[in-house]
Amino acid sequence: MKLLPKLLGVLVALFIAAPLFIVVPMSFSTAPSLEFPPPGYWLGYYAAYFTDERWTQPTINSLIIAFGTTVLTMLLVTPATFAVVRHRFVGRGLANLMLTMPMAMPHIVLAIGYYSYLGDLRLTQTHLGVIIAHTALSVPVAFLILSANLKGFDRNLERAAMSLGATPLRTFRHVTLPVLRPGFAISALFAFIQSFDETVVAIFISGRESETLPRKMFESIRMQADPVISVVSTLLFAAVALVILAPVVWKAVSRRRSRPDARGGEPVAKEPVPNPCAPTRVQLEA
Amino acid sequence: MLSVLNRGTAAPGALKPWLLLLPLVLFLCAFFLVPLGQVALMSVTEPEFGLGNYAHLTSDGLYLQVFLNTFLTALGVALCCLLLGYPLAYLMAQSSPRVAALLMLLVTMSFWTSFLVRTYAWMVLLGNNGPVTAFLAFLGWDPPPHLLFTRLSSTLAMVHILIPYMVMSLYSVMKRIDPALLRAAESLGARPWSVFRQVYLPLSAPGMVNGATLVFMICLGFYVTPVLLGSPQEQMVAGLIGTQIEEFLDFGQASAMAMVLLASTLIVLTVYHRRFGLDRLWG
Repeated sequence: MKLLPKLLGVLVALFIAAPLFIVVPMSFSTAPSLEFPPPGYWLGYYAAYFTDERWTQPTINSLIIAFGTTVLTMLLVTPATFAVVRHRFVGRGLANLMLTMPMAMPHIVLAIGYYSYLGDLRLTQTHLGVIIAHTALSVPVAFLILSANLKGFDRNLERAAMSLGATPLRTFRHVTLPVLRPGFAISALFAFIQSFDETVVAIFISGRESETLPRKMFESIRMQADPVISVVSTLLFAAVALVILAPVVWKAVSRRRSRPDARGGEPVAKEPVPNPCAPTRVQLEA
Repeated sequence: MLSVLNRGTAAPGALKPWLLLLPLVLFLCAFFLVPLGQVALMSVTEPEFGLGNYAHLTSDGLYLQVFLNTFLTALGVALCCLLLGYPLAYLMAQSSPRVAALLMLLVTMSFWTSFLVRTYAWMVLLGNNGPVTAFLAFLGWDPPPHLLFTRLSSTLAMVHILIPYMVMSLYSVMKRIDPALLRAAESLGARPWSVFRQVYLPLSAPGMVNGATLVFMICLGFYVTPVLLGSPQEQMVAGLIGTQIEEFLDFGQASAMAMVLLASTLIVLTVYHRRFGLDRLWG
């Protein structure tokens, strides 16, 4: 009785794992089309990915767009989060709703909207157009993470700084910002990933000039022609694995290191580490 | 002294938060609400003013078929995610912290891997030269069935893509279930099956509702995977909207369908909110 559900659980875990890991051997395959197991192994498609402009250019575009989105999102979201978390005012609920609303939209609906609206503004097929659309989509995620961090912030730290004569700006720069740095970093990271991964809107509004990597991937999967897709998939999967495993490894290493010299010194601040898989990425982005 | 400290929140109180919010609110008005409004507008003005597009949606059997198909697919995917996700979440909740963390790592990794990568992986798995077809041929299925570009392939891939949402929802509820309750039921003479059915299952129900709602809602508007893996004859709403725009430039019809899709999503959200509160859904 106890064994059967556990066995089922293991099978489901395999069901989740198998497709993730299958892209890795595929990327070294010599086969020009989908074939598994691969008939032979080489690095040719890696070379193709890194030298072929049809792949490098979308990668660069995606990085530019994700970076622009992150900067714009953080510039807009930071003051707004302080307003919503720290002030009580008429319309606060409405502001809260508006800031999280883009999250509940199926992306295909917004894709039509942007296609015609940004088209009227002559912003389709430009980096700026995609950055603008992605910023609207990244706002809820960045806002939710930042506001969770800000709610846990001890305002006595700011009061102490100001009572010692610091101006509000100085207080923000030297007290608030450093304490909230992990929150800002994670918020920005999520905005970056949100943009880098976003597919549906990019398919409709990024043209040849600003084609993003997901759009290029979508098109080549649709054409079923380009084996380079497995290389890109492997690299993206490796990046995810790296980002997720890095904190785990870091924690294990630092735990081992901190054990021998636990003789006082600076107390290690316990920052609330947000669960990296918390459903903050819940978006109807599919 | 105190008045200086409090000035930030008290004196110009009503105005300051709005000043801080202003850039973002203006941005969202210009680049979120207006484009959204434009979709609503196009649905009643393209190609001519009136409710013609919506009338078309209800009169043409094709559209009804697609909406029904989408709804049933989303329901099926949510059900499959529940049936498959439950044993895994249960395993995680019952294992040692180390094993649970390892499984969580796997689920998280899948969660963060791009939809496109996971869709592509299923293309490899189910392709004509893929392992699944080879296995079926080995079992004596001759000629092996064509798996790609069918309803089966897109459903399977969507279940795989959305199952992390389900497992996370279930696990977060299951790990808070007090084991003492199960022991109490056992000590009162309940068989393992009735402990599970009468104690564990009801206690894990909130996770089931959360996960199923999320999966259903995301699946309703799913574009990428059904377009790439599904059968062109059995499109889902999002895919058909895409076709209307890319191939026929029929913005009016596409917008009307988008509005219906949006309304369905919002109805699911509202029902959930009334019953359970939205903040629970977003975690």
